[in-house]
Amino acid sequence: MSKKNDYDPSAMKQHMGMSAKNRISNTVIYIVLVIMSIVWLAPFVFIVLQSFRCESTWMVGYVVPKQWGLDNYINLAKTDFWHWYTNTFIMALATAVLQTVIVLCMSYTLSRFRFKIRDGLMRFMLILGMFPGMLTMIILYRILKDLNMTQANAVPGLILVYIASSGMGYYVSKGFFDTVPKSLDEAARIDGATRAQVLWKIILPMAKPIVIYTILTAFMGPWGDFVFARYISMNTPAGMNVAVGLNSWLSQDMINSRYTMFCAGGVIVAIPVTILFMCLQRYYVEGVTGGAVKG
Amino acid sequence: MANVKLKNVVKIYDNSVTAVHDFNLDIKDKEFVVFVGPSGCGKSTTLRMIAGLEEISGGTVEIDGEVVNDLQPKDRHIAMVFQNYALYPHMTVYDNMAFPLRIQKMPEDEIYERVTRAAEILGITDYLMRKPRALSGGQRQRVAIGRAMVRDSKVFLMDEPLSNLDAKLRNQMRAEIILLRQRLDTTFIYVTHDQTEAMTLGDRIVIMKDGYIMQVGSPEEVFDRPGNLFVAEFIGAPKMNTFKTKLVRGDGEYHVTPFGVALKVGGEKGEMLKAMDAPTQEVILGVRPEHIVLADPDDQNAIPCTIEVNEMMGSEYHMHVTTKDETRLIIRIPTLSLTAEQRAHLKPGEKLKVKFEGKAMHFFDTEEEKNILYPYVPEVVE
Amino acid sequence: MAKYSDLEYLKLSKWDKFLYKLGRFFISIPVGIGHFFQKIGKGIASGVKAFGRECADVVNTFKNGDGITKGTFLVMGLGNLARGQILRGLLFLLFEIVFIFYMIFAGGYWMSMLPSLGKQGPAVEYDPVLDTYVTAYHDNSFKILLYGVLTILFIIAFIYTWRQSIKQAKINQEMRERGIRLKSGKDDLKSLVDESFYKTLLALPLTGILIFTVVPIVFMMLVAFTNYDGSHDGYFNNLFHWVGLDNFNTMFSWTGGNKVYSATFGEVLTWTLIWAFFATFSNYFLGMFVAMMINKKGIKFKKGWRTILVMTIAIPQFISLLYVSKMFAKNGIVNGFLLDLGWITQPLPFWDDPTWARITVILINIWIGIPYLMLIVTGILMNIPADLYESAKIDGASGWKQFTKITLPYMLFITGPYLLTQFTGNMNNFNVIYLLTGGGPTNAAASGASGSVGYTDLLVTWLFKITTGAESQYYMASVVGILIFVVVALITLLVYNILPSVKNEEDFQ
Repeated sequence: MSKKNDYDPSAMKQHMGMSAKNRISNTVIYIVLVIMSIVWLAPFVFIVLQSFRCESTWMVGYVVPKQWGLDNYINLAKTDFWHWYTNTFIMALATAVLQTVIVLCMSYTLSRFRFKIRDGLMRFMLILGMFPGMLTMIILYRILKDLNMTQANAVPGLILVYIASSGMGYYVSKGFFDTVPKSLDEAARIDGATRAQVLWKIILPMAKPIVIYTILTAFMGPWGDFVFARYISMNTPAGMNVAVGLNSWLSQDMINSRYTMFCAGGVIVAIPVTILFMCLQRYYVEGVTGGAVKG
Repeated sequence: MANVKLKNVVKIYDNSVTAVHDFNLDIKDKEFVVFVGPSGCGKSTTLRMIAGLEEISGGTVEIDGEVVNDLQPKDRHIAMVFQNYALYPHMTVYDNMAFPLRIQKMPEDEIYERVTRAAEILGITDYLMRKPRALSGGQRQRVAIGRAMVRDSKVFLMDEPLSNLDAKLRNQMRAEIILLRQRLDTTFIYVTHDQTEAMTLGDRIVIMKDGYIMQVGSPEEVFDRPGNLFVAEFIGAPKMNTFKTKLVRGDGEYHVTPFGVALKVGGEKGEMLKAMDAPTQEVILGVRPEHIVLADPDDQNAIPCTIEVNEMMGSEYHMHVTTKDETRLIIRIPTLSLTAEQRAHLKPGEKLKVKFEGKAMHFFDTEEEKNILYPYVPEVVE
Repeated sequence: MAKYSDLEYLKLSKWDKFLYKLGRFFISIPVGIGHFFQKIGKGIASGVKAFGRECADVVNTFKNGDGITKGTFLVMGLGNLARGQILRGLLFLLFEIVFIFYMIFAGGYWMSMLPSLGKQGPAVEYDPVLDTYVTAYHDNSFKILLYGVLTILFIIAFIYTWRQSIKQAKINQEMRERGIRLKSGKDDLKSLVDESFYKTLLALPLTGILIFTVVPIVFMMLVAFTNYDGSHDGYFNNLFHWVGLDNFNTMFSWTGGNKVYSATFGEVLTWTLIWAFFATFSNYFLGMFVAMMINKKGIKFKKGWRTILVMTIAIPQFISLLYVSKMFAKNGIVNGFLLDLGWITQPLPFWDDPTWARITVILINIWIGIPYLMLIVTGILMNIPADLYESAKIDGASGWKQFTKITLPYMLFITGPYLLTQFTGNMNNFNVIYLLTGGGPTNAAASGASGSVGYTDLLVTWLFKITTGAESQYYMASVVGILIFVVVALITLLVYNILPSVKNEEDFQ
C-alpha cells in the first residue's frame, strides 16, 4: 500500500490511490494473457492430439481422438518421411556450419575494415536484396541440373543455394560486431597480433552470443524452406525436405489418407527444433532485438 | 517560491537497506542549498524523494507548508534538471521546452512567449528547431535547464547537472547557474559530488555520508569550522592533512607535538582551548595544505621533511612531502611567493622544513572524530 | 511558398504549422526528385571523368614507361616478373593466358551468338549412322544467354586486371628508379592475413553472391526481354530470342491488347500493398501492446508468458501455417467447433470468399508475428532511459500522455528502419500466403493472365505461380520480378528521403 517509484516504462499508474484501479487493470491483463496463451498454444495442442487419432485418417471437425494409438507414427516408416527427415537434417547441419562461417566473415569484415569499395558493396547488396530471390530459382535449377544436383540429388544443390548468398544476411551480426569496441582490436594489433589473429583470438571468443544466434537461424532455415526445396527437387520425393514432402500430403488427392500422418510428421519435425530453440532462446532473443534496433 | 522542510525523512529500500537516515532540514524560501557527498551517500535519493520520484519510507516532506508525501511529482510544483539531461530525443528543442506547458494545456502563444524568452536568456534561440542529438553537451544542458525554467515552479531541483560536461564547460555553466539563480529568484536544491561546485553555488551546503547528514552550513562555516574529520577532509582541495598527535597543556599555553617538534597553539584557538580547560590528550590534527608554510632551515621548531613529488599547477605548487616517520603531507605554495633560486631547490629528494600557525589547526577527537572546538550540532526542524 | 525563419514558424498556430509543413513537403518532392537525378547525373559525370583519367594515365604510362613497362601492355605481369615479383607476375600472366584461351575456344562463340540467341533450333535430320531420322539439337539459347553474360563479366574482369597490371608496372618502375625495395610474394601472402585480411574474408562470400545472386539476376532481367518460356526452352523444343519491350507491352497493354495483365497487375499490386500495410502495422501495434501488458509492473510470471509466445517461434513455420490453414478449412476444426456450439448453421467461408480469405490471412499473420514483435519491443522498452519518464512525470504527464508522447514516438523513431524492412519483407512474404491459401480463392477476372491468380496472391506468389505453372512463362515471371524490384526500391527511396525519422535514428544513441 505504498507509492512505488517505477523504472518500468510500460507501467502507467503506480501512485497511491491507484491500487484499486491497478488491481482491476491487472485482472483484465491476466485474462487477456490467459486467452492469448490458449489461442497461441491451441493449434499445437490440437496437432499433437490429432497425431494420435486412429479411427480415421482424414480431417474431422473435432479435436480429441476417439481412439488413441501410435498408428500414424508407425505408418510414417512406410512412407518417404524418414528420407525427407534425413535430407532436411543433413541440409540443416551443413547450412548451420557453412552459413555461419560465411556470415561471420562478411559481417566482421564490414564492421572492422574500411576499404575502398566497402560503402559501394553494402549499397550494392542492399539493392540486390530488393530483387525477389525467387526470381533466381529458374536459372539456378538449370545450372544445378547440369551439375546433376537436382531432383533426387537435390540435397547438395540445395545446400549450395542456401549458403551461396547467405553473405547478404550480415546485418544482425555486423550490428553486434559494431558494439564490440574497436579499441580491443587496436590493443591486440599493438600487442603484435595480425588481423587474422585478432579475429580468432579476441573477437570470436567474445562473439559467442551472435555465433550461436547465427548457427541457430541457419539451422532452422532448411526446416521451413519451401520455395527452393520444392523447385529444385521437382516432384521427386527422394530429394524433398520435410516442408515440401509434408505439404504434398495435404494435396487434394492425398489429404484423406495422410492428414493424421501429416500431424504426426509435424510433431516429429517440431520436437527437436523446438527443444534446440528453447535451449538457446536467450541468444535468439538477443540477436532479434539487437538486429531490429540497429536496422 | 517556497520553503522546503524535511522532517525525520528516512529511505529504506526493499532489501532493507537504509539509504537515508533521519534527515532533517529546513530550506528557506529562495535559498540555494547544495547536497554534497561521495557516491552512495544518499544525496540523490533525498532529492528524488523531494521530487516524488522515490517513495518516502518515513518522515515528512513539506513544500510551501504542505505535506507532499502522497502527492504525485506533477502536483508538487517542482522543476528538475537531470544528470543526463533527459531530453526527449524525438522532439525539437522548442518542443522539449514546450512539453511541460503543453501538458498543462497552456495556450500556444503564451508557450511561445515563455519558451523564446527562456531560450534567449540561455542563448539557445538559434537551436530551437534542432533535435537534441545535433547539440553539444553544453547546449543540451541549457535546453534541460530551459525546460525547467519555463514552468512556474516553487522549487528548482538539479541532480548533478554538470557532471557530464568537461572541466572548462563546467566552470562556465557554473557561473551561468549563479546568474540563473539571481534571475529566477526561487528555491534551489542542487545535488553534486563536487565540493567546488558546492562551495561556489550554495548558500548552504549539506554534506552527507552513508545516509547521514555530516554537517549543514554556509561555505565559510564548513570550510573554517568543519564539524568532524569527514567534512574537514571532504571540503577543500587538495584535501586537508590529518595526522595523530598530542595536544599538551602547558602552563597557560597549549602545544601540539607533531613529528617530534613542539608547535604553539596561539591566537583565538589557544584561547578557546584555555577557556574549555582542555586536558592533555591524543588528537587528530588537521592542517589545510595552503596553511603550511616553508620555514627557515635553521628553525628548531619546524618540521623537517623530504620532497617526494612536486606538482607545478601554474599559480601554485602542490608539494608532496614525507616527514621522518613517513607521514605524507601536501603543501600548497603560491608560485609568486618563491624566488627562482628557491624554485630550483624544490626537487624530489631535497630536504626542507615546514611549519604552521595555531589558527590553521583543526582538532578532532580520536574517538568520534568530532571537532573539539566547533562540534556540529544538528539542526532541529519544527 | 515563403520559407519562415525558425521563430516565425514557431509562432504559427498548430493548424498553420501543419499546412506549412505540408506545403514544404510538396515543394520538397520535385526538389528531391531533382536532387536525385542531379546526383545520378553527377555520378555519371564523375564516372566518365574517372574513366578519362584512367585512359590518360594508361597513355602516359606507355609514353613514360621503359621497355618492360611497355611490354606489360602486351604481356600482363611482365612489369612484376622482370622486377622480381614472381608470384604476382605469374598470376597476372596466368590470368591472361586463361583469358585468351577462353576467348578463342569458347568466349568468342558465345559473344557472337549473343545478339541472336542461337540460329539453328532442333530439327529432324537424317542420321547416316543409325540410318534413320532423329531430332538433332543445335544451338542452346539458354546457354548462349548465360555464357554470354558470364563472358561479358569475364571481359570486364580482364580489362580491370590488365589495368592493374599496367598500374603496377608503372609503380614498380618508379620505385625501382628511386631504389625502394618491392614487396615480395611472401609479403603479399603475409598481408592476406593482416592488412589485406578483408580480401581473404570476403573472397568466399562474394564469390557465392556473384555466382548465385548477381549472375542469375542479370540473366533473369535479360529474360524479360526474350520469349523464354515452356514452349521456347531454347534447346529441346524451340530457341528463344530477343523480343524487345514486347513483354512489358503485354503487362501494361501499351498498344491495344485485352488489358488482362495490366488489370491483374494492378489488382495484385493493390492487395500486396494493403497486405503489407496491415501485416506490418497490425503486428507492430499489437505486439507493442502485448509487450507492454507483460512488462506492466505487478504482472507475475513475466518470463512464463513470454516463453509461451516464444515457443511458437520455435516450431517450423510451415507446420503451423499448414495446420492452421486446415483448421480454418470448410470441414476444419474451427468450423466444426462453431457448428457444434450451434453458433452457425453453415460453415464459414474462411478460404472461399475473397474478403473472408483476406481478413483471415491478416489475422493469422498477427498470430504468427506477435511473438517476434513482443520480443523486439520488450528489448527496446528496457532501453528507454528511465529519466525521460521521470522528467515527464515531473512535467505532469499522465500515464497515457507518457505513452503517446514518449514511448510511442521513441519506438517509432528507433524502429523506423525496421518497419521499412518489415514492410518490404511482408510484400514478399511468400510462405504465409502460399502455405495458408495458395493465393486462393481464384480470381476469375484475372483468368487470362498466366498463373491462375487468386484474391490473396501477392506479387511474389504470382511470380512463383507463373514460373511453376503449366505454360512456364519465364519471361512474364521475369517482368513481374523486375516490377517487384521497382516497387520495393521506390518505397525504400521514398521513405528514406521523406521521413526524417529514418535518417535520424541515431538521435537515440
